[in-house]
Amino acid sequence: MAARGCGGVWRRALQRGPGGSCSASRPRRAVACNARGGAVPVGQSGLAPWVPVVGLEIHAQITSNSKLFSGSQVQFAAPPNSLVSFFDASLPGTLPVLNRRCVEAAVMTGLALNCTINKKSLFDRKHYFYADLPAGYQITQQRVPIAVNGSLSYSLCIDNKMSQMVTKTVRIKQIQLEQDSGKSLHDDARSQTLVDLNRAGVGLMEVVMEPDMCCGEEAAAAVRELQLILQTLGSSQAIMAEGQLRVDANVSVHHPGEPYGVRTEVKNINSIRFLTKAVDYEIQRQIKELENGGTVVNETRAFDSKLGCTVPMRDKEGKQDYRFMPEPNLPPLILYDAKSLPANVNHQQVVNIDWIHERLPDLPSVKRAKLVELYGILPEHSFTLVNEDGLMEFFEDVVKRTQMKPKKVIGWILSDLLSHLKQHSLTANESPISSFLLADLLNLLENGDISSSAAKQVFEELWKGEGKTPLEIVKEKQLELIQDQEELEQICQAVIDEREKEVMAIKEGNKKVINKLIGLVRKATRGRANPLLVKQILEKKLSE
Amino acid sequence: MLRASLRQISAALKEGQITPTELCQRCLALVRSTQFLNAYITVAEETALKQAEESEKRYQRGQPLGELDGIPIAVKDNFNTAGIETTCASNMLKGYISPYNATVVQKLLDQGAVLLGKTNLDEFAMGSGSTDGVFGPVRNPWSYSRQYKEKSIPRSDSEPENSNWVIAGGSSGGSAAAVSAFTCFAALGSDTGGSTRNPAAHCGVVGLKPTYGLISRHGLIPLVNSMDVPGILTRCVDDAAVVLGITTTYIFVCSMSLFRRLSQSKLNSIYPIYIFLFFSVSCHVSGSLAGHDPKDSTTVQDIFQPFALPTLTDVSKLSIGIPKEYHVPGLSSEILAVWSKAADLFKNAGAKVVEVSLPHTHYSIVCYHVLCTAEVASNMARFDGLEYGHRSDMSKSTESMYAATRREGFSDVVRGRILSGNYFLLKQNYEDYFVKAQKVRRLIANDFVKVFGSGIDILLTPITLSDAIPYVEFIKEDNRTRSTQDDILTQAANMAGLPAVNVPTALSERGLPIGLQFIGRSFQEKQLLTVAKWFEKQVQFPMIQLEEVKKHDDGVLQHQKSASFS
Amino acid sequence: MTPRNRFRWRVMRVLALCRWLRGGTVRALRLGAAAASSAPPSQVRQRLGPCRAVPCRAVPCHAIRGGNGLSSPVCALLQDSVTVEVLDHLERLALVDFRDAEGVERLREAVRFAERLREVNTEGIEPLDSVLEDRCLYLREDDVTEGNCTAELLKNAREKVEEYFVAPPGNIPLPELEERDTFLKGS
Repeated sequence: MAARGCGGVWRRALQRGPGGSCSASRPRRAVACNARGGAVPVGQSGLAPWVPVVGLEIHAQITSNSKLFSGSQVQFAAPPNSLVSFFDASLPGTLPVLNRRCVEAAVMTGLALNCTINKKSLFDRKHYFYADLPAGYQITQQRVPIAVNGSLSYSLCIDNKMSQMVTKTVRIKQIQLEQDSGKSLHDDARSQTLVDLNRAGVGLMEVVMEPDMCCGEEAAAAVRELQLILQTLGSSQAIMAEGQLRVDANVSVHHPGEPYGVRTEVKNINSIRFLTKAVDYEIQRQIKELENGGTVVNETRAFDSKLGCTVPMRDKEGKQDYRFMPEPNLPPLILYDAKSLPANVNHQQVVNIDWIHERLPDLPSVKRAKLVELYGILPEHSFTLVNEDGLMEFFEDVVKRTQMKPKKVIGWILSDLLSHLKQHSLTANESPISSFLLADLLNLLENGDISSSAAKQVFEELWKGEGKTPLEIVKEKQLELIQDQEELEQICQAVIDEREKEVMAIKEGNKKVINKLIGLVRKATRGRANPLLVKQILEKKLSE
Repeated sequence: MLRASLRQISAALKEGQITPTELCQRCLALVRSTQFLNAYITVAEETALKQAEESEKRYQRGQPLGELDGIPIAVKDNFNTAGIETTCASNMLKGYISPYNATVVQKLLDQGAVLLGKTNLDEFAMGSGSTDGVFGPVRNPWSYSRQYKEKSIPRSDSEPENSNWVIAGGSSGGSAAAVSAFTCFAALGSDTGGSTRNPAAHCGVVGLKPTYGLISRHGLIPLVNSMDVPGILTRCVDDAAVVLGITTTYIFVCSMSLFRRLSQSKLNSIYPIYIFLFFSVSCHVSGSLAGHDPKDSTTVQDIFQPFALPTLTDVSKLSIGIPKEYHVPGLSSEILAVWSKAADLFKNAGAKVVEVSLPHTHYSIVCYHVLCTAEVASNMARFDGLEYGHRSDMSKSTESMYAATRREGFSDVVRGRILSGNYFLLKQNYEDYFVKAQKVRRLIANDFVKVFGSGIDILLTPITLSDAIPYVEFIKEDNRTRSTQDDILTQAANMAGLPAVNVPTALSERGLPIGLQFIGRSFQEKQLLTVAKWFEKQVQFPMIQLEEVKKHDDGVLQHQKSASFS
Repeated sequence: MTPRNRFRWRVMRVLALCRWLRGGTVRALRLGAAAASSAPPSQVRQRLGPCRAVPCRAVPCHAIRGGNGLSSPVCALLQDSVTVEVLDHLERLALVDFRDAEGVERLREAVRFAERLREVNTEGIEPLDSVLEDRCLYLREDDVTEGNCTAELLKNAREKVEEYFVAPPGNIPLPELEERDTFLKGS
């Protein structure tokens, strides 16, 4: 089924009232993420451990000009029912005509996820009645989808330590092309549903991940990696907040050695952060339920982001039977490779798998490896660079414009820039400090014009976004290093003169005390002294 | 004049013997006076006259669009027509005005045809008598022919003669009756299990079901998508070829008219160059699009050349197959006799006539029954009252509104098929019924492949079990039983997607038409129609003698304006 | 033939047909017709007389038409599979109701008829979706060619608010069997 955006199901869940016991407090985290592999979370009772199993169904909206089977436009915001063709409104007698671009996007995605691309795939009708599904069925690929048997590798850190990263793999069962549904706006006051079909018929790729994950963090890391891949390919913008990427999680728990437990499907997850929460909450809820002697019901639940819990969705009640049937209006979709390509065929009618394969852009994993190799940075740093929106490009821009070694630049990017960005919930593209300015600043530091502590001061000033250059700030705040040897020597002498006790100690062989003197010099110069130079001067003077 | 064939009337238009407006008015007058046939659901008098006027201007300029310019036609009411109501003879779509034209309708209009109106049918084309629509049954024009009247014996003195009228066959009964009663020169029907050929046989007209994939279904409100094809009903085989010709050579015509617009005067004054250009254009275009409707993915992308139907003189090289399984129990002796006679006709003319076997024919109706109901269940899901069509006043919930709308909008027949179809598609039944039926469908299609592979050119079969029966008797059976019986001889061609045509052959004892069916190889319409034309010439099927037509044809040309009687 | 006779003949024909559809079980009764059907028409003209009246007298009417008279195990089994639960399920899925006993009987009849498919040996046969299965699917270029027809679309909708289609409140399943307006109630 086409996953619905928060517009529809979300309100439904609320409207239908709280079905489950839902504590407002955050769930106790009894599930240790077994990112190390095989580690089994502990249940409340402390008796047998539980193994959580998480599978994902992800709907990604294909980035295309027009819809999957019609020539109406795909656009995120538009006046209601303005992006609707006769086919989208299911007018009798209209027929689907497949968009080549959508096929190519799915093939690209399949190749990027190491799938086998089916040279012949089929379309099916899936029947159910819903106000925003005008035909009474959705065209999807149930029997033979376009891509099958792939895998996705993703990395995550253990116990929140960046230094301990593990790489895991989740199997991709299949990727299928299907139609999105329209949107229902529930007007409870007038007890009516307003139907907007602008989204109806937009191309979706449903990516089905096997239940190879075992906690929210793994699920989140896998989805993030998929999101990056889609964005890199351009096959989907994959912005969760705009509903271009919708994730449903299938969750169950069982004891080791026993068959999988009854699973629930959690819907309405509209950010990666919520995915972690929703999955962990659901695992916890099921364990609690089972340990209290209850049972888990095979049901659809919605994640309530405000309450941080999942609640049953009533609309999926009752026996559903989608009565799948081959879509009679679409003959089989045939794809070609270099070998099977017929000689005299209209090029516009051919999707060549090999051709697409050759033109795949660098995937995130390749980008990371290249970053490590090219800049000599740590793998975990490359991970952050690639995973944070626009950060890699920012980093590379800075590296290009500065003499500072990339290894040093990365520190500024990750510990200074990124932490500021995170604090203010910004992406690298929205940073008030441009890559130019940061490069200028790092050049001042690299040239020995300012100390690193001064540089931090400048950074803070730059963050304010007042349009000053680093140099202007340095000048204004008189942060440049004292280059004048004589002046420095005078300051050092003054410190030596004042600190007889320390000088004595040094002369008696306690060399470490010199650091205290260095600190005093720095204090006297308000950080404008080059510590190395100060140390040299002090040592020279003390040995006299 | 109205009794002329399409090609004859086309020639008359060209020669100025009659103008398109006169012709249109005469046809409309006949439509009115044969209103009792109930052949039309909607008569588009105003737009028809306007189209006729446009056509007249073109003739006056000496630039008619082609053979169909100014020719009055009718279209079955399950094809979308922009601005003219499209009802499918269902309460569900009463009052529905489509915003677009079906591709086939558009093509006819682009050729200058004059659309008189929309013809009656069984609700959503589900039936074989044209008796099960909300606008009432279609009466077979032959019920009122001199031929039938002379031979039929009134049931009793007390019963009025009126109750003797026979059905038109279906589901395209309105289109067949409209052509048969001379109200138009050609009509579009649709054919899923025989819906064009069956009424053609009962009404004594030619009914062509083209190969699946040859003609666009875009705009045809579907019954069974994998078997539906637009059908062509005409008075003679040549006319069917003319209509088919234009329906398959749209793109050529497009490029031609484009050229004409670009350099009208030049092209018209130098006719040979015009022809030359036309062909160079068509060659240029045909590489990518010819024959294919970009709005229907089930039209094949091959190039189709328009053809002129040759007059066959020698059938000795032909191999005619007589499938023994078509000799079904219940086949009337009359039909059997006509069939045998036809076989002899070919044999005597030197053709090879061979008995062949299509062993799975028995199962085609049961196979069809499952596949048809399943697709109906699916196709009818869109009728929920939300975006178009009938909507119930029930407003408790979306589900209850849908249910009430569908209860009110669909007849028992339609709802029965929806429910059966849903049953066959249930998870637990899908393999046993739907998939099983699809496998049987392959066996049926393979039967044809084998027969044609063995060197048979054309199959000759009966098309109906008997001649048309009186309405009062017809309705004593339920719809499914009736459809089952009536589709039995026509339906396998749909399973295999093959072209088939009804050729009116003889009159029965009761003075009613009997037709025979020719089934050809896929996309071999030319061969099929060539043979049909030869046969048509041999049998010399008599023309229907209708009082009403005589009156109008000989009468004054004056047109009386009146509201359409839809 | 008088119309009345004709009707009688017609009924008999239907019965014959039904039996023929049912296949082998009544083969013996088909006698002349069976022989005739295997011969090309040109050779059987002389046998036409009996053909018309052949098959039906021996079989009681209800055995073919009604539901109750059926005694074969397949039919018994079948009756079992069309339970009230299934009927209720169908009404909910299809959002149309059976209306009356005839509606239910129509389904039973349809299912019974479909049972004949079981007679066909389809081992190793692939299902046929479409006669175009060997042709490749036409692909459209990714161009915007439709849309911007809101007014045209809304014209045919009975209820609308601004530019929206309007449905009654959603996600409320049909009431249970006993509370629903259906013929199945109480069965």
